[in-house]
This record gives sequence, structure tokens and C-alpha cells, in this order.
Amino acid sequence: MIRDTLLFFRYEMAKTFRNPVWPLFGILQPVLYLLMFAPLTKGLVGGSEVEALRAFTPAALMMIAVFGSLFTGFGLIADLRNGSLERLAVSPAWRPALVLGRVLRDMVTLVVQALLVFAVAALMGLRVGPVELVLMLLLMAATGLFASSLSQGLALAVRDENGMSQTLNLFMLPVMLLAGLFIPIAFAPEWMQTIAPVNPLYHAAEAGRALFAGRLGDSEIPIAFGLFIALAALTTTWSVRSLRRIAG
Amino acid sequence: MMINAHGLRKTFTTRSRKGSQTVEAVRGVDLEVQRGEIYGVLGPNGAGKTTTIRMLATLIAPDAGTATVAGHDLLKQPREIRRRLGYVSQAGGVDDMSTPRAQLLFAARLYGVADPAAAAEEVLKTFDLAELADRPGRTLSGGQKRRVSLALGLVHTPPLLFLDEPTTGLDPQNRANLWDRIRQLRDQGTTVLLSTHYLEEADALCDRLAIVDHGVVVAEGTPGTLKRELSGDVITLRLDDAARGAEVLRPYAKETRLDGELLRVYADDGEHALPSMLRTLEEHGLGLKSVALDRSTLDDVFLAKTGRSLRDTGAAA
Repeated sequence: MIRDTLLFFRYEMAKTFRNPVWPLFGILQPVLYLLMFAPLTKGLVGGSEVEALRAFTPAALMMIAVFGSLFTGFGLIADLRNGSLERLAVSPAWRPALVLGRVLRDMVTLVVQALLVFAVAALMGLRVGPVELVLMLLLMAATGLFASSLSQGLALAVRDENGMSQTLNLFMLPVMLLAGLFIPIAFAPEWMQTIAPVNPLYHAAEAGRALFAGRLGDSEIPIAFGLFIALAALTTTWSVRSLRRIAG
Repeated sequence: MMINAHGLRKTFTTRSRKGSQTVEAVRGVDLEVQRGEIYGVLGPNGAGKTTTIRMLATLIAPDAGTATVAGHDLLKQPREIRRRLGYVSQAGGVDDMSTPRAQLLFAARLYGVADPAAAAEEVLKTFDLAELADRPGRTLSGGQKRRVSLALGLVHTPPLLFLDEPTTGLDPQNRANLWDRIRQLRDQGTTVLLSTHYLEEADALCDRLAIVDHGVVVAEGTPGTLKRELSGDVITLRLDDAARGAEVLRPYAKETRLDGELLRVYADDGEHALPSMLRTLEEHGLGLKSVALDRSTLDDVFLAKTGRSLRDTGAAA
């Protein structure tokens, strides 16, 4: 089981390294966001640039955790279409490895991306303790596991690139805004503040900010971990079960 | 026996805005495939060929029926079957984003081949892929991709190989080339089950075949016996009154078939029957517009069994 998952992981990873430009493009967005948005809000909110970074780096990291991973299912649709998924499904390999290898690839890619974004923030003057950083990476891994397996499951359910991108786009903007990723939810009108806690990503962003502010005792941290571990378990199970649909 | 299937059935339910619709893709298929033969499943698009192969390949579960594949029970020991099976789907299964070599190595490792690198090298050589081995899949031509898919299906040297429409979309030269390779596989002892809607392919390549239509086997045997069962030759006449023509020519025919103003007469010895047939038509004053004499083909068998021509189903070969 583990052997097969690692085999799939290795194959998918090798594929990613054949075209390393795309994952690099993926982190470019949050890096640009750091470079441009943080100075911009400094003028709005006031305070130093490091303070702005402290608020926005966790948001940038959560953004790549969710939205980078949400699009990885497109690869699965391509493999459904070219028949390689079908071919691998009749191999003696452990069936769930087909999805788990990919999800593992996304998590590893994500952690590497996060470290790069963090390095940029550090160069700009942000300092965060090691425990906080490790916890942040773990929270991102859980978020990535959720988003990646949601994407794989969606790919197997929708089986169509067009439908998939429409579905993702529909949810992206409201989820992103209601999480306070761009603009802290404290600036939002009351009704938005009331419904924001329903959005799991809101808790992840809040937990990230608490971690980067060094508030290890903040209750948002266990809430975010609990939420995303539960959600990830749910979506992973769903995506593995959806593998039954390979042959229509 | 390599495959022994009885009463395989599969019904699909598709849901749409107009409500759910059920399609009986396979309605009780029996197959017996001997070790070391090329066995063909011939039929038009939508006859249930792919569904049958997918069931036998453990990809989809049959609704009813039993089967033994490569010595193991389809329902109880799918993993044992998968170990012994090479499966090349209609889509081919070549990953566009990865090289043939990387895919072959990965497949060999999944099947637990002792020396994956050597096994990959071996099939690359067999299918003349050495020079393409390190190019991404998307840069390969249709014929090259087909060879890669075959290599992928054979890298673990399975005793049984499934090919779903292996030559669809190939030009005549690549098709002939592929036929040779499939024959070589049989000569090395591999059992091959292939589906096709090409009459010529079934005739030239298969040792035995099953003709399927609407999810059932309508005829089964070697291409030779199937054609002989019907008769050796077919005489196609275009007549003013085809129905009367059929009546007066009955003494010469093993079987006649009306198709508009076309009359098909099946006869064992067409060359000798034809002059007397023409004379008879003249004696009865039946106007003849054209006449053709052909050896009967599998299409005639298909026509005799289903009442339709395989060429008319849009699957012309």
C-alpha cells in the first residue's frame, strides 16, 4: 500500500520536475502579492511594513495552500481522457494510491512553495519563531490535503475541464473574500463578519495570523487544525471512493 | 482455456434533465478463448465490445454472469487477474506530460518486475521506440503513441493481452505493421483478445472471433467457418423487380436477401451459377441493371445474422 503510494508519488513528482516552471509561476502570485499589497496596505492601515507583512504573509500562504492545490485535479482529467488512469486502474497497484500519490505530491510542492514565500518575507524583514513556522507548515499541509483531494474528487465527478473551472471559479471569490485573505475581515460590514466564521478558510487565516504574531495560545489555532484535519479526512475519502468512476 | 465467460451482463444508467435512461450495454455474453490464440470481438460501435473487455479486465463489475480469466475468478480474485493481464484501452493510456521511458519504468515497478530498467529497454527495442524514449508523450504521432501503449501493456510480459480497438485511427501502413506485431506476440505464446469494427482486421488477424450486436454474440467461430456456413460467394444484382428475382433465383441460392432494388444471392459456387442465373432472369423477362460477384465476407455474415450491414452502421472498414 505505502509502496504503491510512494511509487505514484515519485512518478508524479518526476513529472512536476520535468516542468518546474509551473509550480514556480504558482508561487509568483503570492510573492508579488507580498511585494505589492503589503506596502500598499501599510499606507491604509498604518504601522510599519513588518507589521503589514505579519498580517499578510499568513494570508498569502493560505492562498497558495488552497488555490494552488484546488487546480491540481485538472491533471487527473487529462489522465482520464488519455486513458492512463484506466491503464493504471487495471494494474495490481493498490487503487487508492492513484489519488493518494497525487495528493502527497501536492502537499510536498506546497511546503516547498511555502518555504520560498516565507524566505521572501524574511528578506523583507519578517521574523517568526521556529515552532510557529513548523505549525504554520503543518496547518498548510492539512489545508493542502483538503484542497487537493477535493480537487481530485471533483475532477472524477465532473470529468470535464470546462465544468471544473466554472465550478472552482464560482466558489473562489466569495470564499477568499470571506476568509479575510486580502482585507482583514475586521474591515467588513457586520453581516460579513457574522457569516465569516462559517468559512473554514477564515479560521485558517486567523490561525496563521495568530501564529505569525506569536500568540501560540490563541484558540483559533486548534480550531483551524481540527477543522482542516476533519475536512481533509472527508475529501480524501470522497476522492478515493470516486475512483470507482474511472470507467464511467 | 484463457478466458471462459458465461452470461456477462451490464446495464448503465445515465441521468440527464430528461430523466434517467438505462442502456443495456451487454446482455448475456459467453466467450471461450483458448491459450495462445488471437480472438476477435467484431461489431459496430455501441455493440458492447468495450464494455465486455472492461468487465473482463476487472475495470467494471458485471451485473450478472461469471468468468474465469487467466485461471482466476473474475469476481473473487481480480488482483490475480490484473497481475497476468496487459490492457491497452481505446484511448491508449499514454501520458502526454511524461516520456515513454518514465511511463514504462513506472509500470514495470507497479507490476513488481524484477529489473524494471531492463524490461523497459526490452519493450522499447521490440517496438522500435528507442529513439523516442525520452521525448514527452505529447510530441509523438498517432502511430508512435500506439506503439508506446502496446509497450506499456507488455512491459510486465503478461500471458494475456487485451486490445480495445487497437488500430482505430491508424493509416493502412501502421495498421499492417501493428497486425504483424500482434501475430508475433501470438507466436511467442501470448493470448490476445481484441475488439474491432474493421471487417478486414477481424478476417486477416483473428484465429477465432465472436460477432456481437446489441450486447449479444450473434455468431462465433473461425473467419473461414463463419463465411462457409453462409456460402462461398455472394452475387449482388440490381433488378427492376428484386422481389420476383428472389423467387425465380431461389433454386441457385443457399440464401437470398432483399435490400431495396438490390438482391443478394448467396451461392457455394458463384462462377458456375452466374450464367444460368442470368439466363433464368432473361427467361422470366426481368430487367437487370448490374451484377457483381464477390467472395462472401464477414460483412455478409453480419448481414445474415443481424439484417444490417456492418458498413451501414457507420463503422465502414
